[in-house]
Amino acid sequence: MAEVVVDTTFWGARQSGVAALERELTRLRRAQSAHARELGRPIARASVLNLIVYAEREEHARRAARSIADLALRHPSRAIVVLADRGRREGIDKQIEMHCRLPIADGARLVCYEQILVRARGDVDDRLASALIPLLVPDLPVFLWWTGTPPLGSRSFADLLRLSDRLVIDSADFARPEMTLPVIARISDDARGRFGLTDLNWTRLTPWREIATAFFDVPAWRLFLDGITGVRVGFAVDMDGRDIHPSQALLFVGWLASRLGWRPLETLAPSEAGGLLFAIARPDGARVMVRVRPRFERGLDEGDVSGIRIQATSTRQQAEFVVKRQPDPRHQTATVLLDGERRWERTMPLPSPAIVELIGEELSILGSDRTYEEALDALVELA
Amino acid sequence: MSHEEYREELHAAVGQYSRTKPLNEEVWRSFAEHLHFVATADDAGYEELRRTLEQLDLALGAHANRLFYLATPPPAYKAIVEAIGEHRLRGETGWARIVVEKPFGHDRASALELNEIVHTVFREDEVFRIDHYLGKETVQNILVMRFSNGIFEPIWNRQYVDHVQITVAETIGVAERAGYYEQAGAMRDIVQNHLLQLLALVSMEPPAAFDDKAVRDEKVKVFRALRRIAADELATNAVRGQYARGFIEGVPVPGYREEPGVAPNSQTETYVALKLWVDNWRWEGIPFYVRTGKRLPKQSTEIAIQFRVAPHQLFSRDALAGLEPNALVLRIQPDEGISLRFGAKVPVQGIRIRAVNMDFDYGASFMVDAPDAYETLILDALRGDATLFTRHDEVDQQWAFVDPIASGWAQSPGGPALYEAGTWGPSEADALIERDGRKWRKS
Repeated sequence: MAEVVVDTTFWGARQSGVAALERELTRLRRAQSAHARELGRPIARASVLNLIVYAEREEHARRAARSIADLALRHPSRAIVVLADRGRREGIDKQIEMHCRLPIADGARLVCYEQILVRARGDVDDRLASALIPLLVPDLPVFLWWTGTPPLGSRSFADLLRLSDRLVIDSADFARPEMTLPVIARISDDARGRFGLTDLNWTRLTPWREIATAFFDVPAWRLFLDGITGVRVGFAVDMDGRDIHPSQALLFVGWLASRLGWRPLETLAPSEAGGLLFAIARPDGARVMVRVRPRFERGLDEGDVSGIRIQATSTRQQAEFVVKRQPDPRHQTATVLLDGERRWERTMPLPSPAIVELIGEELSILGSDRTYEEALDALVELA
Repeated sequence: MSHEEYREELHAAVGQYSRTKPLNEEVWRSFAEHLHFVATADDAGYEELRRTLEQLDLALGAHANRLFYLATPPPAYKAIVEAIGEHRLRGETGWARIVVEKPFGHDRASALELNEIVHTVFREDEVFRIDHYLGKETVQNILVMRFSNGIFEPIWNRQYVDHVQITVAETIGVAERAGYYEQAGAMRDIVQNHLLQLLALVSMEPPAAFDDKAVRDEKVKVFRALRRIAADELATNAVRGQYARGFIEGVPVPGYREEPGVAPNSQTETYVALKLWVDNWRWEGIPFYVRTGKRLPKQSTEIAIQFRVAPHQLFSRDALAGLEPNALVLRIQPDEGISLRFGAKVPVQGIRIRAVNMDFDYGASFMVDAPDAYETLILDALRGDATLFTRHDEVDQQWAFVDPIASGWAQSPGGPALYEAGTWGPSEADALIERDGRKWRKS
């Protein structure tokens, strides 16, 4: 049986248990503050939150650890990275080991934060939480950042959720978002305010929501909002179209539906290669056709929304509201067509924030995001 | 064991555990000359002890002082004290003192009886009832913090405090102490002494001086003011639990009833949560929630004073989502320190408020290891300073509080609620505090 190899220069030395780990962190803190005193620059032990990151691949765990390092100035935390091999293979010893480090967050060497790796092997579903609870700093809010698809029905996921004030997910990573998102919505409903839910994918959608809203700020176009007949949302896939991640696009549809009071009629089934086609009823009963479809786009991350087209009618006119990414993906162009004639067009920068900025924003929020939760609920009804 | 073997055993232990390393062999040698070992299984043993002590007096030409330290199971105290009397082990000239470990007695009557026996040989000012919690630096610091600072005491009362929580959490199970623990349970093992002492230090009135009489007088007043829990109030004010099998730090551990030496149907409690009231001018109407248990997820002793919320909130509900009431937390162990929780603005556009901790870490501020509690206390006993020891009237009042609860439980049909090892106790304990619209701290 191969031993687990953990890169101790990155994750710090292995500790024999929670008490030993806390002692080691205290020792490191002392060493740093002694050093800092000599230089006349005391280091603050700063933590404003506990952040548990759950990852199943070392690569994801490292990526998360680097994000946390970038976040440390805004959100110095006790960061507990759980790297779990959820394999249930026979003959693997169930084992949980811990490593810790005290990285310095900034060039000025004023703030340090605490990084702990919890490496779990074998099926530790029943005992993982017992290793994490004692590592939490008392009194601080607990954020649980779950990379990948949350394993619904798993005990450790439920245990960790009970500890958490906020669950951070990224539905871009979900293999079958149309299945997983509704379940997440249900968990969040059941929790009834015990924890908030954050989807980084929702944060990525913000500029798209802003521009779609801005169309209807124009008084002359406002009335088209009640006359929408069709919506098309494109999302990026890679060249061979194998991995389909429609969550972002679906969230956009859920958002429109929840804001405009649309009810589901029927799912007209998976359309072309991974796309979806819905028939939805407006509050006045008229039918809206919604198409979500994958498109190959260079330079976009898989699943990112690539374009939106909203068709609407009023008593006198047909309108189309179109948003497209420019080929450089950093800009988007919004166009309004009335009876097929271009009336308005504007190109503007499209921020595509790194994951660090996304999560940095989310970590500052403790309440729940009602707009998101309503969009999810609408999506549950549609799916 | 011979004197020599005893010295070797101590040498190894001191070498391993001493705060100052390496051990200076020269210093050790001169110290070890004064170490002697006598086993006293029966009367002959006590006689041998007397002869050894007399020889030492002769050899050293001194009228040596004598400190008796009873590091024995509590049932042996009575016989030992009587033997000290019968065999005239006190000596004639120097002082004689006795140190007794907790618990002193197993209820009010037995404590009184034991006290009378001790008093046949030792005066009260010669009796040092040890509660090692009182020897901890951070416990003494409770008094320093409260009474040497001008800013805390004015708000240390019912006008500003919403409630107080005291937690004594252990991760260990009963280990080899089943024989004792089966009889004691968490109530006698922790609540009667450590927990009530912490409660007294945090709630007592300012003593006039830091000496044994003034400090202990104030503590006794707290115990007298502690509202007794009657049998019919047990269900709402007291919770007992017992650990079932589970996990500690990811390692499977057996349930209490599966531990060696424990009865398979044992009703002994390994967890206690209580809602207490100190009925006096300062604390009227302010609940003290206390809890202790074995096989809890984390080793932690702390006192949290939670303050009332601001009277009027200017900020929107969304802005306040991350705000929690102010709390002052005194961490006794591990990671000794003090932290103050308050709301601060999150650096974003607009107002968003988040609870943050201002943290004082003992270890990082004073770069020395604090002396062990026993170092402090044994030295105090040698010096004759009883401030940090428990006086008999304290013990008596502590039992007067504990007895009705213990006997109420013994008579009630239901046993302790089971909780999985590695969790924060039974759900009944959550209900105890949640009924009042409050919750246990995330310790």
